[in-house]
Amino acid sequence: MRLITHNMLQCHVKGCNANNFPLELQEVVLEQEEAELNEDFLRNMLGKLEYEALVATCLKLDINDLPATLPADAAYNDEFLQILHRVILETHIKSGKMICPNCQHIYNVRDGIPNMLLAEHEV
Amino acid sequence: MTTTNSSAATASKNPLHIPSPFRADEPDMTPEQKEQQYVHDVYQVIAPHFSATRYKPWPVVEEFLKDMPAGFVGADIGCGNGKYIGVNPKLFVVGSDRSSNLIDICGERGHEAMVCDGLALPYRPEFFDFAISIAVIHHFISPERRVAAIEEMLRVVRVGGRILIFVWALEQTGKRDFDKNVQDVFVPWAMPKKAEPRRDRTRNTAQEGRRRDRVNATSRSGEASLSGSMDQLSIQDGQPSTLSTSNISAPVSMQPALSMSSSSPSSSASAAALAAAEPVSVSASSSLTNADALLTTQESRAENMGQTTAAPVFNRYYHLFHKGELEELVTRTKRAKIVQTGYDRDNWWCIVEKTSHK
Ligand SMILES: [Zn+2]
Repeated sequence: MRLITHNMLQCHVKGCNANNFPLELQEVVLEQEEAELNEDFLRNMLGKLEYEALVATCLKLDINDLPATLPADAAYNDEFLQILHRVILETHIKSGKMICPNCQHIYNVRDGIPNMLLAEHEV
Repeated sequence: MTTTNSSAATASKNPLHIPSPFRADEPDMTPEQKEQQYVHDVYQVIAPHFSATRYKPWPVVEEFLKDMPAGFVGADIGCGNGKYIGVNPKLFVVGSDRSSNLIDICGERGHEAMVCDGLALPYRPEFFDFAISIAVIHHFISPERRVAAIEEMLRVVRVGGRILIFVWALEQTGKRDFDKNVQDVFVPWAMPKKAEPRRDRTRNTAQEGRRRDRVNATSRSGEASLSGSMDQLSIQDGQPSTLSTSNISAPVSMQPALSMSSSSPSSSASAAALAAAEPVSVSASSSLTNADALLTTQESRAENMGQTTAAPVFNRYYHLFHKGELEELVTRTKRAKIVQTGYDRDNWWCIVEKTSHK
């Protein structure tokens, strides 16, 4: 899974409605994989990203490239868009755990695929 | 997940392909358990063969995706093998499906995909610009659950975002002819006599190619019978392929095999292999059935029918939609309008637009 996908995931255990984002990453194995730059996508993402959560997540993964706050000219800042592209689209989580900060539910990532299924009593 | 079968044209006269009324009176089963047994478990087991028959995008879906503005972000809910995820490379599409075996295929193809339940999507609210639900909602067992599936998609799509929904039609007159008075049916999936899956023409990885070569080699050594195809299935299970991590306790219904009947030991041997295979806890679901118990039950059911020989067929549950029914479900959500509707390839479809947050 790409880091962008981590930024759209929240815990969905029944009743877990607050403080359920972002899922905390642990024991993560990362992999870089080149992808074609899509500026339309990146600009669209600027309005959707939880930027603060993205930066915090990256710091825990020792990815220090992103500025702490979203540049005012982000949409037309080529240098920034390049970095954003590399971070959210080319950085893959191959394996690891994603833990809900609220209810501590653990979601596993294996072979790059998150398993977000819940047990019956959690739905 | 789609509903037509490339071999159906030639197999339409095959009695194993005839749908039967859904047994609505199954004792002591919750809707979740029924969907587990008659939908999820089946797709887990048939995933490789199912995927091999699913490569050609339906034109309406393709057009919907190609008309989306560049950079839009979409969710393919119930994406199966991910055949729509890469249709428009200017979009970013995230696939999800209940079947981890189908999602593994998406992963091998480099698609962004995850395992999750359509009634409990793990996404932030209003994140997506659009969503598609192709041949998925007809697998939910009650009108309430079908509406809930639409509601859940509306939750994750932004206001103004569109959702394309396809469901199987009761009125279809193509490959299958349904009793127009029975909307809830079992539709059998028979593994091919000789598996020669057609190549995926979009993104076929070398790894997948190797797996298919093994499948072909296996089927050539098997007899031309359904028991042969079960051999193939159980051998696949032993491979380090997608099926190897599956829980394979799918409903195997022992239907009369007629001219293709086989009382060869291989039939029971492969059934035993199925039953003996170790369920691996790939999903958090606790309702996975026990293969031994399942096979025993269904064997005794076959005996009750007076059958001594049997061939395994995988029954999937479908709710067949009559004209206007899909629109009626959408209207119930009270926060979406219908933009366009149509009928294509045995399916009713509609494009829905989210009109308000709640
Ligand atoms: Zn939680």
